[in-house]
Amino acid sequence: MDDTRTVDDAFAPADAAWTRVSPLLARAYRISLAVGTLIGVLVALGLALLPDVPLWLPVSVLAVDAVVTAWASWLIGRRVRSWGYAERADDLLVTSGIIMRRLVIVPYGRMQLVDLVAGPVHRWLGITTVQLHTAAATTDARIPGLTPAIAADLRDRLARRGEQRSAGL
Amino acid sequence: MSGQQQDPLSFEVVRPGASAPDEHGRRRVHPLTPFIQGVRWWPAGIALALTSTVQFKVTVGAGALLVALAVLLAITLMGTGWNYLAWQRLTFWFDADGDLRVDSGVLSRQERRLQLSRLQSVDVLQPLLARVAGLAELRVEVAGAGDSKVALQFLTLAEANSLRNEIVARSAGVRHDAEEAPENLLAAVPAGDLFLSLLMHAETFVLLLVTGLLIFVTLVTEGTIGLLLLATGGVPLFSIFTQFSRYYEFTVAESPDGLRLRHGLLQKTRQTVPPGRVQAVGFVQPFLWRRKGWVRVRLNVAGASTSAQGSGDQSYTENVLLPVAPWPVALAIVSRVLPGVDIMSIPLVPAPERSRRRAWIQWRQLAVGWDDQVFITRCGRITERWDVVPHARTQSVRVTQGPWQRSLGLASMHVDSTPGAVRISGHHRDADEARRFSQEQADRAARARATDRSLRWVAQQQLSAAASAVSDPANYPPPPMPVIAPVLGPLVSPVEADPVEPAEAGERD
Repeated sequence: MDDTRTVDDAFAPADAAWTRVSPLLARAYRISLAVGTLIGVLVALGLALLPDVPLWLPVSVLAVDAVVTAWASWLIGRRVRSWGYAERADDLLVTSGIIMRRLVIVPYGRMQLVDLVAGPVHRWLGITTVQLHTAAATTDARIPGLTPAIAADLRDRLARRGEQRSAGL
Repeated sequence: MSGQQQDPLSFEVVRPGASAPDEHGRRRVHPLTPFIQGVRWWPAGIALALTSTVQFKVTVGAGALLVALAVLLAITLMGTGWNYLAWQRLTFWFDADGDLRVDSGVLSRQERRLQLSRLQSVDVLQPLLARVAGLAELRVEVAGAGDSKVALQFLTLAEANSLRNEIVARSAGVRHDAEEAPENLLAAVPAGDLFLSLLMHAETFVLLLVTGLLIFVTLVTEGTIGLLLLATGGVPLFSIFTQFSRYYEFTVAESPDGLRLRHGLLQKTRQTVPPGRVQAVGFVQPFLWRRKGWVRVRLNVAGASTSAQGSGDQSYTENVLLPVAPWPVALAIVSRVLPGVDIMSIPLVPAPERSRRRAWIQWRQLAVGWDDQVFITRCGRITERWDVVPHARTQSVRVTQGPWQRSLGLASMHVDSTPGAVRISGHHRDADEARRFSQEQADRAARARATDRSLRWVAQQQLSAAASAVSDPANYPPPPMPVIAPVLGPLVSPVEADPVEPAEAGERD
């Protein structure tokens, strides 16, 4: 767990103070992965119980399911550690992703709304997602896996800065 | 418009700016509206009529026709009745703050207030049927997330135009009973050029070639592949027809309240794009247009048909500033939208050579560039694209990297604009460079935001009133001289630049 170089320098410039998200997010990912795996197993089971279905079909479904599960669970830890955000003077940086990596720079003056979102699993675990919206639909700046207190603080800070620097369109 | 002449059909509608129609000063749309909207129920009505003839087992002769007609009539009447209720409940007025208010809705009421200081565009549309009746639809869009658009169906054309003027004037903060601002024609697209350009769209052209080949094969082998022909031939022909009819008689005019675009064969559209509302501009040049030196110019305008959630799957209408025009004309017109920007003189930084292993075809075209006002990207080999976003309109900046790019040490940078056809992406750059450029772009955007004044456009109208009026609107006008010179800048590589050589361009004037 001490793989500190989770993100390349290009995607997490060292000149910013990066905050990582809660490890609870990994549990949320594992739960969704388990649900996905379970669905795969059920599909395989259903196929096996159907008449006229050759045996190799459910077996291969199971095999694919197992491979995907193994691969995804191997990635989960790194995926969670890849999430990070940094608040700078004029903008917010968000980085994420292992396979598809990205870094988003959102100027405070461009933020139109800041949402807090939590689905049932996340709520049960006690984590929240902060979702930023600008006038561009492609911005895609969300930070999952924050504890509610941190998330609410972050939202208020962002909203305040957004108001100070608001630039219209 | 010309005084208080009474429209023979309008017994309740009062001209905007004139006295109020009811005690609250609210106005209604034209009373013919429900009937014109009633026709929209016909497709459903005809489908139902057809199925009901089957239902009643009358499939022959006059009986079937009678049932079908009765069903169609009933549907139309019901639809018109519903539309009548909607008409009765739709009122609009300007409130004390000068904003446009629209109350509507039969079952669920909707009260909307359009903050005109955030006006993005005003369109006057004339769908075919409304056009026959001399009516028009007015569409008003303001900036904002979600449904920030109001369509007033239908007004008389004169009323729609004067309401348009009033809205634009109010948004600009000038006297709202001002006369319509004078305009100055900048360019008109000849129908022949438009048709040819649509024919020479890469996909269309290939599909039509395939169709020709298929017809030939069918003739030789005497086989039947009619359905396939419908797909390969019908789709491009349909797209040519729809685009031709949409962009027919396209004109761009300049006025103090913005650029005015007029176009349409069956449905007449008149768009107004206030200056400073343009979020991004893109040039598109399909392969076969290159010899002609043609280009299409597209716009991103905030609030234009964004889906409510603005999530990944976004719908937008292509906002076209010019469906087809030679480079110099396109540049001249874009220079009205982005004053003081000389796109052609911006130095471009190409993608590294190793990007050829990720983008085999277009890697040579991939480039980004910037000056003190705009950021620009170039991409595409078969269909070339140049996308321009002013720093002051930059929303956010992103760097992305997929596994393939990662193995090559590449990354893409994106400058996010409001939803639209123009996307500003510098693909397959060196990863560190992409990061650095993104950071620099974010800083430039921050500086530009701090100094941007373009939203207060009435104050800074430097639109030259004396700008050359165009004598021959039936053709592309000669572009103003200063714009032609930089055409041979770094954007146009020598091969494509042939049709607009400086010598030739000089002779134009």
